[in-house]
Amino acid sequence: MSEQDNGISRRSVLKGAAIGGLGIAAGGSLLAGCGSKKVTGDIHYTIRGNLSDAGAKINIAVNDAYTKKTGNKVISQAVNSDDFQNNFVQIMQGTPDDAFGWMAGWRTNSRADAGLLADVSDQVKNLGSSLSDAAVQGATNPTDGKQYIVPTTYYPWGLHYRKSTMQSLGLNPESIATWDDLIKLCEATKKKGLIGYALGDKGGWEAMGTFDILNMRLNGYQFHIDLLNGKEKWTDAKVVDVFTHMGQLIPYMNKNVLDISWDGMRDLLLQKKCGAMMMGSWFANDFKAKSQADYDDLWIVPFPEINPTHGVDSIDAPLDGISVAANGKNVEGGKDLAEFWGSKEGIDAAVAAGDTNIYISKDFDTSSYDAFNKQKLAVLGAAKNIGFFLDRDTRGDFAGPVVGPAIQSFLKNPKDLNKILENTQAQWDALPAL
Amino acid sequence: MKTAAANKKIRSRRSLSKGDRFTLAAFIGLPTLMQIVFLWLPALITIALSFTYWNGINVSDIKWAGLANYKNIFFGTPVFYEALKNNAIWLLWFSFIATPLGILLAYQIDRKIKGHKLYETIFYIPVVLSLAIIGIIWNFMLQPGGFVQGIMGRDIGNAVSIWGNYSINTYVIMGVASWRHIGYIMLLYLAGLKSVDMSLREASAIDGATEWQTFRKIILPTMRPVNIIIVVITIIESLRAFDLVYIIYGTSTAWPLLNILVFQNFAGQGISMKGAAYAVILLVLCVGPILAYLRTTFKEDLK
Repeated sequence: MSEQDNGISRRSVLKGAAIGGLGIAAGGSLLAGCGSKKVTGDIHYTIRGNLSDAGAKINIAVNDAYTKKTGNKVISQAVNSDDFQNNFVQIMQGTPDDAFGWMAGWRTNSRADAGLLADVSDQVKNLGSSLSDAAVQGATNPTDGKQYIVPTTYYPWGLHYRKSTMQSLGLNPESIATWDDLIKLCEATKKKGLIGYALGDKGGWEAMGTFDILNMRLNGYQFHIDLLNGKEKWTDAKVVDVFTHMGQLIPYMNKNVLDISWDGMRDLLLQKKCGAMMMGSWFANDFKAKSQADYDDLWIVPFPEINPTHGVDSIDAPLDGISVAANGKNVEGGKDLAEFWGSKEGIDAAVAAGDTNIYISKDFDTSSYDAFNKQKLAVLGAAKNIGFFLDRDTRGDFAGPVVGPAIQSFLKNPKDLNKILENTQAQWDALPAL
Repeated sequence: MKTAAANKKIRSRRSLSKGDRFTLAAFIGLPTLMQIVFLWLPALITIALSFTYWNGINVSDIKWAGLANYKNIFFGTPVFYEALKNNAIWLLWFSFIATPLGILLAYQIDRKIKGHKLYETIFYIPVVLSLAIIGIIWNFMLQPGGFVQGIMGRDIGNAVSIWGNYSINTYVIMGVASWRHIGYIMLLYLAGLKSVDMSLREASAIDGATEWQTFRKIILPTMRPVNIIIVVITIIESLRAFDLVYIIYGTSTAWPLLNILVFQNFAGQGISMKGAAYAVILLVLCVGPILAYLRTTFKEDLK
């Protein structure tokens, strides 16, 4: 079994970015698009999602800004995000669009190793000190030390809730510090007839967020990453402990966990049906698209401490960015567009179009962030170790086909835990060497 | 009789002109070629790949795995047995409930019972929809926040668990799938019944046979060609089931089927040749019983 040694690259990856972002406010931009060669020709760009989504409009706004600046036309097409991911390898081997929004971690590095993605190290270099070392490190492929994604945004996974709901219940999630506090909060929410801990896992990945944070809280970041890379065993009592804690949350969950996906979770929060919800903050764009009042009502706090040894020192904060297809027709154009996305001008265009993501670039004036974004930065800043989320921290043929069904089986029949974990380990052991 | 047929055969072969021969060659050769290139070649490649480790990208990365993928599936993947169970339930449900219901309906409608046109239309409508569309429709109706839930006054927070409730979801899926399958079988059978000579029925009625006896002894045997098609269709539909469940559950194996496992292991982040092994297992399951069935039926015919 070959092991990916991602220990170094994942450690403290984005902490620098978070703090740097807070610190250097109106740093001014010097860098945008200082590539030496003049890039010409149309550039094709894939939007992951539907054209009607808030996210697609932001994509188009940034691409339009690029066209305005360089005169190069960007032809954007929207592709269903799941379809794009499912067929990624086939698309990249055919005639792919030049650039597209993508995810750092295993999904970039493994496909870069296979020669499907273009090296964007020069673009990352051009962006220079606007990217923190930690962010660059997070985007670096451990195999060859190059970057295959221009990191642009990231977001924390944490407990989301609506301020108004909690207020009307007389609860204050910001005061929860321990596991017992969380259970009490869930209990109190449940007593008032709401869902204590909203969860949907029909998609098979949503509950991984809860698994990740419980594992990092109970057993620490290093154990978590080691487990996902085969250096620790799923049958370990520590992993049993993680699921035992997840089991303690089940009574406070909605009764239709396996009926709803992430969008169902979002709607539970949007419709004020639940107290806390563990999710990545990226869904906030949908709140903003619904109404400013809904967005202003949204808040996030870190998942509380469980084991004092590890405190709240770790968090899942997936790093997103723009990757360039190695087989695209206009690879140089794709790279140039990717760089623009990472520059201040690109970010300004995205924010003007309503993007609520937080940016890695230190050139971006974080003082203009709204309260929710500042809170996201605070949540990120509280953590020392950054995970990328289970399905980006481990092999693709393990995350989706093995861990996803394992967590679903647990949510279905918590009593089967030992069998489930034994089987998960057996399936890891059966994986071919990378 | 025999010699006449043989003579005819010889004559017709002789009388083939150059043009005829070309047409025949094109009509038989092209489809055969396409069949080989687009069906048999990929199938053989899939079979070969199922004995390898590969992530589907660079051909140079293919490594021999022997029976490892199959071992992994049979001994290490409980979800495989869940999928097998679901496919088996699908097959049994279609064989013993949906298909007989379709036949019964066809028989009743063919007897021109009161309002038969209306029934025919009602049961025929779902047949024009693909299972994927049917999945979208019923998912929209039954999912939390969906139409039926709304009528029951259930919002997303307290929606009745259907797709995620394992004591009922199998039956709901079977019901939804049957919604189309019953109409489909009815249609096929109805077409067959129209060709049954009315005088046969009249004769059996005169002989004093009951409805059931007529159906069993007269109609069913005369409908033999249609029966074969229906049996084959029922087996294939049950084993190839995919779209309906994929629309509802996506690639997550919350309600696994063999085809979903093929897709899950071929698509997405986790491409591995376990997917090929699943596909081969499915192929064997599909082809095996159908070949066996066709063989026995045609053997009887030859006698």
